[in-house]
Amino acid sequence: MSAEATSPSTVISPKKSRWNRDKIYSNLSYLTMVLPGAIWLFLFAYLPMPGIIMAFKTYKLARPPADYWIQNKFIYSLINSPWVGLDNFKYLILPSNLSTTLMYIRNTVLYNLLFMVVGLIFSVALAVIIYELTNQFLAKLYHSIFFLPFFVSWIVVAYVVYALANSTGIINSSLASIGIAPLEVYKEKAYWPFIFLLANLWKYTGNGSIIYLATITGVDRELYEAAAMDGAGKWKQFTHITFPHLVPVIVLLQILAVGRIFGSDFDMFYTLPGGAALVKDVTYTLDVFVYNMLRSNLPLGYPAAASFVQSVIGFILILVTNYIVRKTRPELALF
Amino acid sequence: MDAKAAPQKLARPTSHKRNRDMLAISPTTDVLLNILMIACCLLTLFPLYVVIISSITSESALTANGYRLWPEEFSTLAYTFLFAQGSIVVTAYKNTILSTLAGTAISVLMVAFYAYPLSRDNFKFRGFFTFYAFFTMLFGGGLVAYYMVTRQILQIQNTLWALFLPSAFSPFWVIVMRTFYKANVPNEIIESARIDGAGEWRVLFEIVMPLAIPGLATVALFSAIGIWNNFFNCLLLVDEAKYYSLQFTIYTTLNNIRFLLENADKMQGVVNVGDLPSQTFRMAMAVVTVGPIIFAYPFFQRYFIRGLTIGAIKG
Repeated sequence: MSAEATSPSTVISPKKSRWNRDKIYSNLSYLTMVLPGAIWLFLFAYLPMPGIIMAFKTYKLARPPADYWIQNKFIYSLINSPWVGLDNFKYLILPSNLSTTLMYIRNTVLYNLLFMVVGLIFSVALAVIIYELTNQFLAKLYHSIFFLPFFVSWIVVAYVVYALANSTGIINSSLASIGIAPLEVYKEKAYWPFIFLLANLWKYTGNGSIIYLATITGVDRELYEAAAMDGAGKWKQFTHITFPHLVPVIVLLQILAVGRIFGSDFDMFYTLPGGAALVKDVTYTLDVFVYNMLRSNLPLGYPAAASFVQSVIGFILILVTNYIVRKTRPELALF
Repeated sequence: MDAKAAPQKLARPTSHKRNRDMLAISPTTDVLLNILMIACCLLTLFPLYVVIISSITSESALTANGYRLWPEEFSTLAYTFLFAQGSIVVTAYKNTILSTLAGTAISVLMVAFYAYPLSRDNFKFRGFFTFYAFFTMLFGGGLVAYYMVTRQILQIQNTLWALFLPSAFSPFWVIVMRTFYKANVPNEIIESARIDGAGEWRVLFEIVMPLAIPGLATVALFSAIGIWNNFFNCLLLVDEAKYYSLQFTIYTTLNNIRFLLENADKMQGVVNVGDLPSQTFRMAMAVVTVGPIIFAYPFFQRYFIRGLTIGAIKG
């Protein structure tokens, strides 16, 4: 992300040369090129941002009077709803709600950390193994197979989980045939962390390893040759050559992942348990919580407050992480 | 990340065979790793295999014997039933195909257009537009505000637009494509085309985009997967069955069945479990949902690993 300043192409067109007709013309063309994307970003990313103040208001939907400057119910209501300070946040930590709120925060953060750590280990291990295999054709074939689940939607994964794990599913009929009592997956909390972890690894390991594999392929072979001549084994080569080369990619991906630590893969957490009420203590994340509040009859300020926590804390965390990285290893910082 | 290190070395994947002997793992390790990989591959494929094989098992065999790795009796009845008489699946299929095609085309073009000026040093507003896109990766208005804006201002709910427009652009792919252009389109070619009198748009269409096909194919593949598999847009923005997407339709079906079965004891007489879509029918639904997008894979594979890695490594 820090490439602009040192890009080799700067040499050819001197940067601060005089403006001529050609240059103005090309900048106009450039502006027309960015225009569609810029409009999309404005509509779908920037327009919702001011809406974040809903967290501090009692949102009341009202029709704007005929002489109001903008005839849009949402904008009018957003501006004219009364401020209520932190009341919406207080709802989330009422004695009756505090334990569930904390539980959903805990789920979100712990699942994210689990996926970050285990996902990283599996992806790097897969990349290293694929790279080391002698038969390149087989290596490619394996990698293609591991990448396949990336194409499968979470909804289909929900079907697979159901086919495997429902009370008459494959796992339970096999268990029954050897006389073991069936697993009540949709009623028993203990299974879900494993299901989510397995599903997550199944779907993302192949895709996640691509970037590490590419990085390893880019490492200069002579480094390994020199190390091998000095008697370094495969493990030493990994810790002293491969891993240091992977660090920039790992740091970059982890900074971005930290920013999303209060977010989650909504489709997975929402569709795999499919709203099974008995397991919601371990399957609800903040995203699911916010969505369910949004679609309930609760005042919109409540989900807005939870959503505010997600956006703002996520943003602060990414700034802090990036700051720490910049202080310790400036070349690895995201910005 | 390091801007200068990788691209030339990536370009010659075969050449590291040269010194393979000295660095090669021992034959025993090689065999063991191959066995491990084969085992993992089988585990990866197993769930998909189960779904496919049970969708072509006859219902009676499935009821009598349960799931088998190789069915005693094949049947394609579930598929015939699935596509008969304009069922909800057919409508959902049409909606999803249309929105995937439109959304992929729009997102490839918008990303290709947006990223190109950001890769050019003579674009005066490069810093601003890079930040303008990048900032949205770090901060957002949250779900509630997004919901209100899409429904009350943009008013795309209950249209086909709702299924693809919210996914039709991606700042992440802009950053990847910007780097891809820088690494793969030599500045000299662009400059000489300009000296020959070509305008910027012509340079982009006739020189830059053809040279960037691996990158653009990667963007196309990922946005096609993203829109085909998208569930959330429909969940959030569509209330009318005629605009349901495929994923949403099959999710609703699964969930209804699961709810009815789990509560079958409380609903004696209300629902006849025998009337529910059969096991094979459900599995056939899952198969047709995955089908087309899997076929896209080999088509794109020749490009996409190259496209993804060059853009991402340097980014």
